[in-house]
Amino acid sequence: MSPLAAAQLAVARERVRVFAQYDRAFEERCDVVVVGSGPSGSVAAYELAAAGHDVILLEEGPPFTTRDLELDGNLSMTRTMREGGLRMTRGTTMPTMQAVALGGGSLVNSAICVRPPDAVFDRWAARYDLDRTDRAHLDPHFDAIADFLGIAPTPDEAQGKRNLLFREGCNALGIPSEPIARNVRHCRGSGECFTGCRSRAKQSMDVSYVPAALAAGARVFTSVQVQEIRRSGRRVTGVSGQVVAPFSHGRGTSHAFRIEARAVVLAAGCTATPVLLQHSGDLANASGQVGRNLQFHPGVAIAGVFPEAIDSQFGATQGYQSLAFLDEGFKLETLWAPPPLLAIRFPGIGADLQARFAELPQIAIFDAIASANRSLGRVRKRFRSLQPVLEWRLHPDDAQILRRALHVISQIFFAAGAKKILPGVGGLPDVLHSADEAAILDSSAVKPSGLVMGGNHVFCTTRMHGDPKRGVVDEDGRCHDFDNLYIADTGIFPQCPSVNPMFTGMALARRQARTLSERL
Amino acid sequence: MLTGFLLVVLAAGLSLFVHRRGFVGYAPAPAGLAVLHRGEAAFVYAVAEVLFPAGGGMALSGAEAGVAHAVDRHLAALPRAQRIQIRLLFHLIEHLTLLLPGHEPGGRQRFSSLSAAARVDLLERLANHRRSLIRLLFTALRSVFVLAYLGHPGNLEGLGLAPFEIDPVVTDAEVLFPRVGALPSSIPWDATDRTEPVCTPLDPEGPRHPAYARAAVARAGRSGRAGS
Repeated sequence: MSPLAAAQLAVARERVRVFAQYDRAFEERCDVVVVGSGPSGSVAAYELAAAGHDVILLEEGPPFTTRDLELDGNLSMTRTMREGGLRMTRGTTMPTMQAVALGGGSLVNSAICVRPPDAVFDRWAARYDLDRTDRAHLDPHFDAIADFLGIAPTPDEAQGKRNLLFREGCNALGIPSEPIARNVRHCRGSGECFTGCRSRAKQSMDVSYVPAALAAGARVFTSVQVQEIRRSGRRVTGVSGQVVAPFSHGRGTSHAFRIEARAVVLAAGCTATPVLLQHSGDLANASGQVGRNLQFHPGVAIAGVFPEAIDSQFGATQGYQSLAFLDEGFKLETLWAPPPLLAIRFPGIGADLQARFAELPQIAIFDAIASANRSLGRVRKRFRSLQPVLEWRLHPDDAQILRRALHVISQIFFAAGAKKILPGVGGLPDVLHSADEAAILDSSAVKPSGLVMGGNHVFCTTRMHGDPKRGVVDEDGRCHDFDNLYIADTGIFPQCPSVNPMFTGMALARRQARTLSERL
Repeated sequence: MLTGFLLVVLAAGLSLFVHRRGFVGYAPAPAGLAVLHRGEAAFVYAVAEVLFPAGGGMALSGAEAGVAHAVDRHLAALPRAQRIQIRLLFHLIEHLTLLLPGHEPGGRQRFSSLSAAARVDLLERLANHRRSLIRLLFTALRSVFVLAYLGHPGNLEGLGLAPFEIDPVVTDAEVLFPRVGALPSSIPWDATDRTEPVCTPLDPEGPRHPAYARAAVARAGRSGRAGS
C-alpha cells in the first residue's frame, strides 16, 4: 500500500473516533458494521468501503502510535492483551493471548504469512462439505493481499545470526527450510514485533488496511465494546455496546452506543465472537456448534546455547521456518521475544538462574507449532461477563507430535553448533549437552503434563460447514441462521490450518467481503 | 465445661499464634507502591533476595533492580481478576510455611521471616514438587519476578540486550491517530511531516534506546563509587 495523498489523509482523520472524543451516548447508521479491527476485520472493512458501501469498523482497543508502544514486554502485554496477557486454558493448562488494539493481533504478532498447503484444504473440503475453499479459489485473494501488504520472504540482511543458525542446522541435516514470508516492508531487524514495530516496517492493520479503509470512506470507532447483536427475525439489525477507557480491561465503561446496519460482520476473534453470540441470546446457534470445536496450534520451544554471543537482540523476530514436517503434524520456526519473556522458562533459583540469564546473548529459540486436530475444547462466556472461559485438552496423539517436534528441534540445534539446550520439559534434565542426550525428548520420558506449551493460534469456534446442522457459517462466512450476519475470523476455520493462520483468515475475509458486497 | 473452656483457650492461642507469625510485625512498605501493602512488599523483597542475589553474574541484584516496584507496576496495570490471583499466590506462599515448615529449626515462620537458606529450600521444594500443579504455581510465581527483574533496563543493557535506538518515524498512522487517551487535535503531524522509510537494517552493534543507555551510565556510576 502506498502512502495516502495529503487530501485523503486529512479527510480520513475526520473519520476516526478515539476515546477522548466520546462525550455522550450515540447512534449511527451504516450499510455494514464490522466488529473487530484485526487482520480479517480490517480486510473486510477495506474491501466493503472500497466497493462503495458505508462501513463502520469498531474496535475495543485504542490506536497505538509509535510513542505509545511499551518497550518493556511485561507492561506491553498488560496494555495490548486481554486479561493482561495472562489468559490460560482450563483442562490442559496453556497460556493463550488475544490482542485488544486497533489492528488486533497484527500490532503485536510477528507478521508471518503462510499459505496452507493443498492437503489442508483438501481435508477441509472432504470433511466439511466445502466446494470453493481451496488454493485455486483462494489464491487470487492471497495474491491481492500479498501485493497490498508487500508480503515477501525475510531477506538475509534482516535475519540476524539466530535465524541463520536455524538454516545452518537444517542444511546440515538435509531438512528443507526457508525464510519466512511476512507482511513487512524494509525490516530493520529490531526483533520487537511482539511489542509493536517502532520502525513501522511491519504492515500491521493499523498502518495498512485501516488507513486504506478510512481513505475509502469507512469510519473507524475505537474504544468501543460491542455487547449485543440486535436481531429481528432472520435478520440482524445492528449492534450495541459501551465506550470503554483504554487499558481499563473492559471495566471503564461509559457512554452507550448503538449502530444500525444492513449487515453485520463479526471479526472479534475466535474466542470473543462466540461469547458475543452467546451474550446476545445464543444467537446463530441452531447447530449447537457456537463455541464448540475449539482448536489450537499448541507450540513448544527450546532454547539453544551457542559457544559465542550471537547478537540475539538483532534480527527478524521470526525469520526462518521449515514446512518439511507438516505431514507429521508440525511446523518449525525461529522465535525471539523480549528477553524477560523468554527467560521465564529458564530453570534454577538464585545464582543458577542468573547464570542462565547471563547466557541470553548466546541463546537462540526454535519452536514448533502442532496441527492438534484431535485436541478439542470449547469457549463459553463467564457469568455476567464478556470474558471467555476456554476449556481445552491436549490429546495424547497430539502430545506425541510435540514430543517428536522437540526432538527434531534439538537435532537442529546441535547440528548448528549449539553447546547445550534447555528443553524446558518438566521431568527431564534442565540441560542436555548433545544430540545423543537429546534422544530422551522422543521417548516416553516426556509426559504430556511435562510439556510447557503456548497456544496463540485459535480456531473453529464458529466453524464453517456446508451442512447447517454441523456448522455455524457457510462457505461465504454467512451464519446459516441469518441472512445478513457474517463471521470473519479464525473461528470459521473448520480445522486448524497447520500453518500460521493470519494470511488464510485475511484471504477468506476478502472473499466474504466481495460476496457480501454483491448481496447488499 | 472444662473441655469447652480448653477448646476456646486453644483456639484463641492458635489465632494469636497465626496472627503474630502471619500478619504483624512487617516493616513499613517503601514509598511509591500503588498496590502492594507492607506484607506483600516484604514477601516480594524476600523472594527477590534469594532468586536474584548480589554477585550472581548479573549487573544488578534483585534488590538493586527494584523488583518490588516493578512487580507493583505490573500488578497495577493488570485487570482486577489477574491482580487478585497473583496477590493470592503471594499470600499462599508467604504463609505456607506456617503450616508446612521447612527442615531447619524455627522453620514455622512466614516466608519473609525465614532465613535465606530456608527460603531457597522452600522454593526448591516447590520447583521440584511431584505434583505438576505445585510446580505450575512456582513457575507462575517465578515468572512474575523474572519479568520484573530482567526487565530492568540496567540488566538488559548489561547483557547487551537493550532495545535499539530507532529514530522516530511518521507514517499515515501517526498523522491519523492521536496518542492513547489524547484528542485528535493533539496530533502534531500532518501529511508533510511523513518520513521516508528507512531501508537499511540496524547495526547489531549500534546504539541502544536512550533510557537503557542511561541505566548503563547509572550502573557504571554505582560501580565507580563502590570501588573508590
